[in-house]
Amino acid sequence: MSDQVSHMPSPPSALSRLSGLATPGVTAVVLVTLLLFLPALLGGSWTFTLGLCFANSIGVLAVSLLVRYGGEVSIGHTFFTALGAYSVGVLDTRYGISLWASVPLALVLGVAFGLLFAWPSRNLHGIYLAVTTLALALAVPEMINNFDGLTGGYEGLYVATPFLPGVDMGAQRYYVALAMLVLVCFAVARLRLSRQGMALLLAKTHPAAADAFGTRRVWARISVMGISGGVGALCGATLAFSGSTVSPGGFTFWQAIFLLVGSVVSFYGLSLPRVLIGGAFVTLVPQLLSASGAWIPVLYGLALLGMILIGHYMPRIRKALNRNRETG
Amino acid sequence: MDQMTNALRGEGIALSFGGIKVLKGLDVDFRAGEITGLIGPNGAGKTSLFNCLTGAYSPQKGTISYAGQPLNGLPPAARAARGIVRSFQHVALCPDLTVRENVMMGLARTGTAGWLSAFLPLPRGRQERSDMARAADAALADLGLPDVGDRHPGELPPGMQRLVEIARAVVGKPSVLMLDEPAAGLNNAETQDLTAALRKLVSPDLVMVVVEHDMDLVMSICDRIYVLNFGEFVAVGSPAEVRSNPDVIRIYLGSDEDE
Ligand SMILES: Nc1ncnc2c1ncn2[C@@H]1O[C@H](COP(=O)(O)OP(=O)(O)OP(=O)(O)O)[C@@H](O)[C@H]1O
Ligand SMILES: [Mg+2]
Repeated sequence: MSDQVSHMPSPPSALSRLSGLATPGVTAVVLVTLLLFLPALLGGSWTFTLGLCFANSIGVLAVSLLVRYGGEVSIGHTFFTALGAYSVGVLDTRYGISLWASVPLALVLGVAFGLLFAWPSRNLHGIYLAVTTLALALAVPEMINNFDGLTGGYEGLYVATPFLPGVDMGAQRYYVALAMLVLVCFAVARLRLSRQGMALLLAKTHPAAADAFGTRRVWARISVMGISGGVGALCGATLAFSGSTVSPGGFTFWQAIFLLVGSVVSFYGLSLPRVLIGGAFVTLVPQLLSASGAWIPVLYGLALLGMILIGHYMPRIRKALNRNRETG
Repeated sequence: MDQMTNALRGEGIALSFGGIKVLKGLDVDFRAGEITGLIGPNGAGKTSLFNCLTGAYSPQKGTISYAGQPLNGLPPAARAARGIVRSFQHVALCPDLTVRENVMMGLARTGTAGWLSAFLPLPRGRQERSDMARAADAALADLGLPDVGDRHPGELPPGMQRLVEIARAVVGKPSVLMLDEPAAGLNNAETQDLTAALRKLVSPDLVMVVVEHDMDLVMSICDRIYVLNFGEFVAVGSPAEVRSNPDVIRIYLGSDEDE
């Protein structure tokens, strides 16, 4: 009965024709165009915050990638963001080398450490893997302080070398972050169409079937960790440049949790709009709530709960709206 | 190559789970150029035998070889690389992929485009994708499903999902094709399409093994039939021989009485 109803073609309304136009690609182009002109309308401090937003969005994307393509949860991605951030920070302050070289280094290190972590943990799943990633996150601040000759310890590093010499640094910090985010989202969208990406998805839902068609489970796990680690490091590299400072405070265990929360809040989305929601949550909510003192954790929790409930009931709300439109 | 060398052979395959003997020393000789049927009551061990042959299970005893080459110890992916593929009794399609993409996964082992083309729109990766898509569409059309490539598996009725599985198994031009209950959940017309498609697949180099409960289908397409009961073969032979075998009649009549 209900099947027949849902299969009936409904007359195309102006609204549905409009939403038919809004393919993911079109949405992304419109969004990017808006973001390109936003600094002209906003003040410097908002432009700066938005740059951080873009950088954090990449981190959220790294966590969501692991969920969507690997079916696993990480609460340790600050390990990879720290790796990327210190690649940029150290090359900049010690050797005066700009992003041209430090971003590729960050990517290589992120992928390499993702693979290195994946091999010994290849047979762990679910909560066991999550706890192992937690160990990574907890180790990060210690390691940074241990290597203070290189990392500057608690005081951190100040990233000042421009990406494009002669261009206003404030604008650079915004536009480099935006460009990185768009590039990463684009690459991840390509992955979905590739043979490797499809094999990862099959291995996530039916490992036995993937195995039977030539995709080893271990290959899938290691690959997805390498990709996620690489994207995580790109997040760190962008954070370092756009945030201008790199210090252990940005890579605490809480920051790792925030990245996971951002991923949950964006419903593990990999598209530009979705990861922006996650990145905004990671960047803005703590800032907005910081005025409320001791209530921060409570309000943060409520905000999180609110987002998740909206997401949970969204399909039903949409269904109810559709029904109204059909009968009305 | 001649039929005897391209066979999938097993000798003394024995498998047990925690002391329960599921397969009790089976000898099989699945020949190329024929369709071999594997029948038997529920729980007889048919799927377990498939799992041993594809490497999903490691039997405690016995040897398995294809075309004279031992397969023991090779993981499933390595056996897939030799063209040994299967379909699953419980449909194992990925809901995140379209039907066409699911079928394309049957060709994954033949892909050569590297990681760079996975992230960047390089010609190599695009070419690979369009080649695989074309092959997948052809395989779907052969099974009577020309228009479902862009849908998602969850949108199709169970019978069609099963045909999509079979398309995924055949698209890579396998050398050994093992189908686990391909007709389960199919309606009459679909079963007929399937029968025709399976007949068309027969080729001198292909070993084809079909586990099936639909006796009409088995009797009509199989050249040889193995009958399994409680992990042992009770009969092996042509459809006519098997049909008249008293043990087989007893097993099937017995299970009829149970119902
Ligand atoms: N992984 C496993 N662990 C424990 N027991 C198993 C496992 N796989 C199969 N078995 C047992 O092996 C026996 C044979 O199962 P199998 O699935 O091979 O039967 P089948 O002939 O395919 O039956 P059906 O017609 O119902 O598919 C059953 O008793 C089953 O419980
Ligand atoms: Mg079975």
